[in-house]
Amino acid sequence: MSGRTALRTIALLLPLAAAGAEPLSFYYVTTIYRDAKDVALRSPEGVACTSTSLVVADTGNRRLLTFALTESGAITQTGEAKLAELTSPVRLQLDSKGHLLALDGKSHRIVRVDASGGFGGFLEMKGAAHAPVLVGFKLDAADNVYALDVGSERVLVADPGGNVSRTLELPRGPMMSDIAVDSGGTVYAVDGVGATVWSAAKGATRFTQIGKSLKDSMSFPSYALAYQGKLVLVDQHGMGLALLGLDGSYLGRQLAIGWSDGSVYYPAQLCINERGGAFIADRDNNRVQQFTTAR
Amino acid sequence: MPMRRLVLLLALSAALVPPGAPGAATAPNFKLKKGAQGQLCLDCHGGQLEETLKKPFVHTPVKSRECTGCHNPHASAHGKMLADEANRACLRCHDVVPAKARSTHKPIEEKGCTGCHDPHASSFKFNLVKGGNALCASCHKAVVEAAAKARFRHKPIEQKGCVSCHDPHGSAKGSHLLTSEVPGLCTGCHRTDRPIFAKQHQGYPVARARCTSCHDPHGSDKRGMLYNHVHPPVAKAMCSQCHEPATSENPLRTRAEGTKLCRGCHAQRLNQFMEKARVHRPLLEGAACLSCHGPHGSRDAGLLRGPPVAVCGSCHSDTIKRQQVSPTKHAPVRDGNCTACHDPHSSEFPLLLVNAKSAELCGRCHDWLRHTSHPMGEKLQDPRNKNLTIQCLSCHRSHGTEYKKLIPYATTSELCTQCHEQYRR
Repeated sequence: MSGRTALRTIALLLPLAAAGAEPLSFYYVTTIYRDAKDVALRSPEGVACTSTSLVVADTGNRRLLTFALTESGAITQTGEAKLAELTSPVRLQLDSKGHLLALDGKSHRIVRVDASGGFGGFLEMKGAAHAPVLVGFKLDAADNVYALDVGSERVLVADPGGNVSRTLELPRGPMMSDIAVDSGGTVYAVDGVGATVWSAAKGATRFTQIGKSLKDSMSFPSYALAYQGKLVLVDQHGMGLALLGLDGSYLGRQLAIGWSDGSVYYPAQLCINERGGAFIADRDNNRVQQFTTAR
Repeated sequence: MPMRRLVLLLALSAALVPPGAPGAATAPNFKLKKGAQGQLCLDCHGGQLEETLKKPFVHTPVKSRECTGCHNPHASAHGKMLADEANRACLRCHDVVPAKARSTHKPIEEKGCTGCHDPHASSFKFNLVKGGNALCASCHKAVVEAAAKARFRHKPIEQKGCVSCHDPHGSAKGSHLLTSEVPGLCTGCHRTDRPIFAKQHQGYPVARARCTSCHDPHGSDKRGMLYNHVHPPVAKAMCSQCHEPATSENPLRTRAEGTKLCRGCHAQRLNQFMEKARVHRPLLEGAACLSCHGPHGSRDAGLLRGPPVAVCGSCHSDTIKRQQVSPTKHAPVRDGNCTACHDPHSSEFPLLLVNAKSAELCGRCHDWLRHTSHPMGEKLQDPRNKNLTIQCLSCHRSHGTEYKKLIPYATTSELCTQCHEQYRR
């Protein structure tokens, strides 16, 4: 590596390292309990957000709810979708163009939802050796799809059209509950049972464990998000969020068990938008809570 | 401590290490007069040890009056004035745990050698505190009793006891303290090259397979010591229902993998499981049904791979741990009856509950709602959260907490004032 390249690498990595070192705190803002028709949310398991929109997987009611977010903080419902192909929406992702992809917990397939809330087809994993059984997925900045296939114990990496370009075998033994992908293309897999984190750098063919088991710090981490040089894990049975460095080091916890606003009870999915607004599908509290990380 | 007792301890110390034994060199040298290593101790402690010394099996150092081999006659940082930590004092002479053990016996770590051995004398060989399998039954009661009651018993257990297959200290060769790993352990006695062996196994080359997948090594009520709960194809000797034919190139390979294989017979049940919104994760994975069930046989109903608490606890260890530390035990969790509240295959409800309404679910066992109880039910909104109603789980956590009565707060008043804020002080 030449001196200039090295300097450039350091210059690129420094902001990331600095971001990773900064604490990440969640401050309660508000709660979404009901839709515009005053129908209560039931066991919501998914959220996806941008700075202007929010989609909620109201899993118990077998529907999606869409909301508009304004800079002033107002949250207004803009739509509701019930799809025959999506009877158990559990995980949601919005791509860079604002298109919604939803994982159905029953069929274990990814469903495209069109702008009008209609069925936009399944995102088929073209070229995968066996029919995948998906339990989690993520998108990167280029809308490439990273899908956790527990049926064949692998992570499938596909282009936005679903053409599989890469397969990462998962290690035997751990029960991966979710994956995350950071801005550098490193894929992280979270072992819900053993509370271990595994990573595969861009171009790697297999996962290696990073850090030690965090069983003493969390219980059944079920969702992972790479955010600002950290891994934010939804500690579902531990009722909160666990913060990790990208090297697997434990940085701390946020939120705690409870039924009042600001607390969580079996949280399911988390999203954080460009403004630092965070939404949590607070499943067993039958609500979605908004927090901010931007104070 | 009276001087007499001190002197006896000195005598005992001397008695526990034989002269010339490996540890003798490291034993403290008190420059005692000849015979004083133990005989002197017995001047005081003789009466106390009189009955002990009459027992048929006396620890060699005791017999030779070398009490100082184990005890320090002056002072010690260890209990019973031992010259070293309990186990280390024994290990000076008895190097019984393999250096690279694959399995070690828990009592050695937890209770020390004296959990099984009397360091002075005993009525049983090897100074054991109880004889034969009775000692093992002190902890492994269910296993020993089942082995004794079994209709078809494993002869070595009757003849030589548990130690015919297990090393009670530790094993460098096998798990579960086995003196060697299965099938080598089994084929040491059971010849696999005889025609009858092939016939009994339908011609399948099982000589190198894991015998304990079908046979209960502790005996059973089924002929051939098959497990008491046998998968019907195994009971009917129809191995080829699941495996490739015995004459094929790879006869032990299954005809299909995962649920595809099980679906051959259990299609209806599997369809029912998969119909529901939430499927237990292991069912989706490669091992599928075999994550929890044995394919051939089991000691436990439903062909479970072990007692339910062990099977569920293999993944949900935190839940089991929470119950263990909880001062109040919830009976179904304590008894490993996880399926009282959870469907192990699938459910329409989160946490695979069999009923999402905790008042109804809990009401199966607890009938408080029929007489006196805090108001509960679908019409009563939880003041903390308008999307929740007051249910049993509004105040209790079913797997236990660090507080009494399964409540998540240290005091009842702290719990009540979560909703009844006006009474908060």
